[in-house]
Amino acid sequence: MSSDHLYLYGVTDATDLRFETDAVAGAPEVRTVSHGPLSGIVSDIDTTDPERTDEDVERHDEVLRDVLTGDGDRTVVPMRYGMAFKSGRTLKNLLREARPVLRRSLREVEGTVELGVKVLADAEGEADREAVREAAGRFDDASERRDDDELFSDRLVVNRSYLVDRDDVPAFDDAVEAFRGAFGDDVVVQYSGPWAPYSFVDVHIGVDR
Amino acid sequence: MTFLLDDLLLKPFVTVLDVLQTMAVEELYDVEAIRNDLKENQLLYELGERPESEYERRKAELEADLDTAEAAREQYANKQLEVRS
Repeated sequence: MSSDHLYLYGVTDATDLRFETDAVAGAPEVRTVSHGPLSGIVSDIDTTDPERTDEDVERHDEVLRDVLTGDGDRTVVPMRYGMAFKSGRTLKNLLREARPVLRRSLREVEGTVELGVKVLADAEGEADREAVREAAGRFDDASERRDDDELFSDRLVVNRSYLVDRDDVPAFDDAVEAFRGAFGDDVVVQYSGPWAPYSFVDVHIGVDR
Repeated sequence: MTFLLDDLLLKPFVTVLDVLQTMAVEELYDVEAIRNDLKENQLLYELGERPESEYERRKAELEADLDTAEAAREQYANKQLEVRS
């Protein structure tokens, strides 16, 4: 790819990363661009307005997950899908201008990952929804913070994101297993992660890209 | 009803008919409801409750509905602007 435009996945503490992967828009490699104490996790792209496809949204998540779970267990402030810059210089400008908020966000989520729990009533709708919601409270004990997401389906009883310390992930796994055991076939549980902590950092970038 | 009263109080030149028309358009082209259906379709597929063929068919159908609803809302909004100017 000849363009020097850069697609940004997220920001981490200053580091020198480079690894081959199936990145957004078909780029073969992810690397970091650093300025001061921060590094942007990037890959090459030929536009500042990338098309949103299911595949590329998935690649965006996968890259962040690779950084999050790879060597060193890095902390990441994730960007939403679709942020690209004209050059390394414009990205470095962002890292300079947004340094205070990015550093604060990194500290807020240091050493944590995001886990997601969705609980659906079974197709026959026999689950005791109140009991399910109450039992889901046990996940709070194994997490730092919780974010209640939208119940976008009539069958959804619980849709929550949790900020979990890496050391507490096994305890959270156990809580999910115990929950599954308690409700059996009455509910369907989707347990996902680890994700970059999208739900727990709120960085709005409004600079000229 | 709150919406109806608020709208009429805030914009005295908006008629009851205008408000009812807006409500009808919002109900007919409920973008949020279609987005929710898309999310539900994805979730049921991921959980293995919806086979891939049905998931793909439903997804295409809902995406087409979403395009139609968004376009209809935009057209309606533009028309409203013209009427009021």
